[in-house]
Amino acid sequence: MLSYTLRRLRQSVVTVFIVLTLVFLLMRLLPVEGYFGDSYDKLTEEQRQAVLAKMGLLDPWYVQLEHFYGALLHGDLGVSVVYRPDVPVNQIIAMKIPYSLRFGLAAIALSLVLGLAMGVRQARDKGRFWDKTWTWYIVLTHAVPMAVYLLFIQLYMTKILHLPMLYDRTNPISWILPTLSMALGPIGGYALWMRRYMVDELNKDYIRLARAKGMSSTAIMVRHVARNAFVPMAQYLPTSVLLTISGSIYVESLYSIPGMGGLLIDAIQRQDNPLVQALVLIFSTLGIVGLFLGDVLMAVFDPRIKLSKQGGAR
Amino acid sequence: MNDTGNAATHEETILQVKDLVVKFSLRGQVLTAIRQASLDLYQGQTLAIVGESGSGKSVFTKAFIGMNDANGWVDSGSILFEGRDLARFKTEREWLTIRGKKIAMVFQDPMTALNPLRTVGMQIQEALTLHQGLKGEEARQRTVQILDEVGISDPEARYAQYPHEFSGGMRQRVVIAIAVACNPRILICDEPTTALDVTIQAQILELIRTLQRRLGLTLIYITHDLGVVANVADRVAVMYAGEIIEYGTSEEIFYDARHPYTWALLSSLPQLGLKGQPLYSIKGTPPNLFTEIKGDAFAPRNPRALKIDFVARPPFFQVTPTHYAKTWLLDPRAPRVDPPEAILAMRAKYAGVGVGR
Repeated sequence: MLSYTLRRLRQSVVTVFIVLTLVFLLMRLLPVEGYFGDSYDKLTEEQRQAVLAKMGLLDPWYVQLEHFYGALLHGDLGVSVVYRPDVPVNQIIAMKIPYSLRFGLAAIALSLVLGLAMGVRQARDKGRFWDKTWTWYIVLTHAVPMAVYLLFIQLYMTKILHLPMLYDRTNPISWILPTLSMALGPIGGYALWMRRYMVDELNKDYIRLARAKGMSSTAIMVRHVARNAFVPMAQYLPTSVLLTISGSIYVESLYSIPGMGGLLIDAIQRQDNPLVQALVLIFSTLGIVGLFLGDVLMAVFDPRIKLSKQGGAR
Repeated sequence: MNDTGNAATHEETILQVKDLVVKFSLRGQVLTAIRQASLDLYQGQTLAIVGESGSGKSVFTKAFIGMNDANGWVDSGSILFEGRDLARFKTEREWLTIRGKKIAMVFQDPMTALNPLRTVGMQIQEALTLHQGLKGEEARQRTVQILDEVGISDPEARYAQYPHEFSGGMRQRVVIAIAVACNPRILICDEPTTALDVTIQAQILELIRTLQRRLGLTLIYITHDLGVVANVADRVAVMYAGEIIEYGTSEEIFYDARHPYTWALLSSLPQLGLKGQPLYSIKGTPPNLFTEIKGDAFAPRNPRALKIDFVARPPFFQVTPTHYAKTWLLDPRAPRVDPPEAILAMRAKYAGVGVGR
């Protein structure tokens, strides 16, 4: 287990390095006009050169890369240059993460509980009323663009239930709709997979033996089917939990939540290189950690999976 | 144990099936899988149900524990067991008083019969807790003991292992252990050795026989391996197209078969083939169970069929008090029809030799 972890760690560091370097270089390929926004035309050529020099963009790319990694090794992610000039990027990110994290975790918890329950119910009543009803729900939430139904929810739910339209840090009631909106899609997703894996399990021979043993169908559902069906889903759980910090771009803008949603896109559009690099570093690291934890979780649940040997028994 | 035939007087019926009809609804059509099958099962004995694939062997026995698929139902007939008619059972609650507890079942493929994510010990213990009310350490110790009883070495360590750490034969032992942990009166073995290789087959059969003696189990073997039948069975029921067409002691079925289908089945034993001749196979295919079958179901495939076989369904004729066959050949008015050569040759060869048991 330890040697496996170390090997995975080594691979992860290499992966993050490649991703980060690639994004770093791609950012340097963007036209320099982007760094100035609207002020480009107002500046003289000398002034422009001075701005670029101050950002360190006139150095050859390998020197820039060296500076970046040098600072990174000392834990310095640099300062924002466009988004909020001269504010350290980790400060910007640290301010926004708690909002996204809070809503993301609440939404994940909600969608896990409801989605799994829904999936179990569907598998039990396969082909009957509840299965069909929930299937409609899943198709709707996945086929209709999120923007459409989330907007409707904001418009009408607030009216009908007299809930506030916008997020207010001091008013917990205003947290309900954003959380719900973020959970709607994932509820359907978890239900879909849970149903699918449970139906798979229900058709397996060991269920027949469990029945022949004299177990009630409820006991079989709880002790054999649900647990086994959850295992293949467990693999993706850590990644989705960790990546909640990236926030939901649409819900956050809809309810004016000052979270991370859209920050990366914003930063790329405005060519705020240090901010982009910091975000890419965080997201790719979390993604890789999520995958690793997913594999560990799988090995915990499924005794047939061993993490120790290369290739392993799968 | 060759005296089953004359021990008829003190045999006790444990389960009695009368005119059982089981139907399935498939794609809007109704399939009659079991057509008025009748059977008596005797306490402590071993019954083998033989017949080709699709003859209804599994469906018939699954009806005893209510394990047929949801689209199937008992249309008529009765299954009497301990004073109750299992054919009338509808709810899961009723079946839970029988399933595992009184009648347990061992399935064909041990490789997939166990939950891969739970320890072997837990899966046996589940049955103990369910049927014998054992819990905690007591249940664990009893489980280890059962593992030992079914011939698994180092049971303490094996208790905590998972199915993938067991070989096929070992897994079948675990499946049998689960059935035994239920402490049933009847054990149905649905082709328990088909998926295993030959050397393991013999071991598993021996294990089941040992457990039968120790626990006083009544056994039902479902098989199309006549070698297994000769090896284990006191009585044999031959099934064809959803009905039992001949029923008797092992000796009677092997050496004095009366139904043309039983003859055909025995003739296809490779051991009976004559040197230099192709192996015998039964021509044609079993009848379509979606349509109503007229007369003797086997008649279209039977070269010796009588005219009446196509018109009227034969009743059970009694050959001896233990031997019945559904064929018009046993009617006093029927012409004399001799069994095929292979059957006659076998009778001559083994005359006076008992069936191995």
